[in-house]
Amino acid sequence: MAASTSNALNWFLHRITGTFLIFMLITHFWVQHYDHQAASVTHEVVTEQGAMPDYPEEAKEGVRARFGPDAEATPYQVVMQRLADPVYAVLWKGFNILFLIVALHHGFYGLNNVMTDYIRDPMGRLIARSLSWTVALGLLIIGMYSVITAGWG
Amino acid sequence: MAVDTQERPAPTASKEGATAEQDSRFQRYRIRTGMFAWMMHRLTGVGLVVYLIIHIWGLTALTDPETFNALIAKYHSPIFKVGEFALLVAVAYHAMNGLRIVLIDFLGWSPNQKKLFWTLGAVTAVIILVGGWPSIYSLGEWILGPGSMPTLFL
Repeated sequence: MAASTSNALNWFLHRITGTFLIFMLITHFWVQHYDHQAASVTHEVVTEQGAMPDYPEEAKEGVRARFGPDAEATPYQVVMQRLADPVYAVLWKGFNILFLIVALHHGFYGLNNVMTDYIRDPMGRLIARSLSWTVALGLLIIGMYSVITAGWG
Repeated sequence: MAVDTQERPAPTASKEGATAEQDSRFQRYRIRTGMFAWMMHRLTGVGLVVYLIIHIWGLTALTDPETFNALIAKYHSPIFKVGEFALLVAVAYHAMNGLRIVLIDFLGWSPNQKKLFWTLGAVTAVIILVGGWPSIYSLGEWILGPGSMPTLFL
């Protein structure tokens, strides 16, 4: 009874998280790859090994405005425009943590659906389920650690 | 779920024999458009979970500026540009096919579902071409030499 209720809830959540992910991914992709203040110029950045990507004027100005006139627009500094911002950091970190939770639930619930289809042995299913959700929990913890502590140094 | 198999071709076939050859749990399915869409949904889904694991693990580099800069510099090498494009293809397909599944689950089956399928297919193609253009452009510039690609929209 309880198991079937939780399965129905997870099935429903899978649809909801999937729909949410579409909107969150649009935001994520836009900010990371297309917005000029935040992204390296995507079409200029096939670089040879180890070379730093170039950034547009908007990104360089943004970094200088936040970290002083000598600050260089390195990938780290460009990301820190958002994650070390005194005003918007909380908003961006909140977005990233929500994104992390939603993506992990959606991904690992889907993965468990696939595994349940191919693993017939109940013990095997239990092991696969515990193992995969342990990995998800581990990723949630290290992911949240990365997001929360970013820009503290 | 009603799926036609070669062992159980259609509802008109006799019901005997339907369970006769259940010795193997791997049935041979007829691969039609919907079935192909479902298989691709699973494949891209599993691929995206693998990517998600690598992505979250890689982002632990955010705790150290030097490591993070080195990581991003590596991401701009040609092989990662190919990967970036493949990622967009997988994400766009999985998102649009997932949207179709959600619409059918929540709004119910409609006689227009084929129209929905091909409309979302066209939307997916547009997302891949427009969103993936910077990656295609940069790869073209790298392979064919600077200035050889048209700077459409860039």
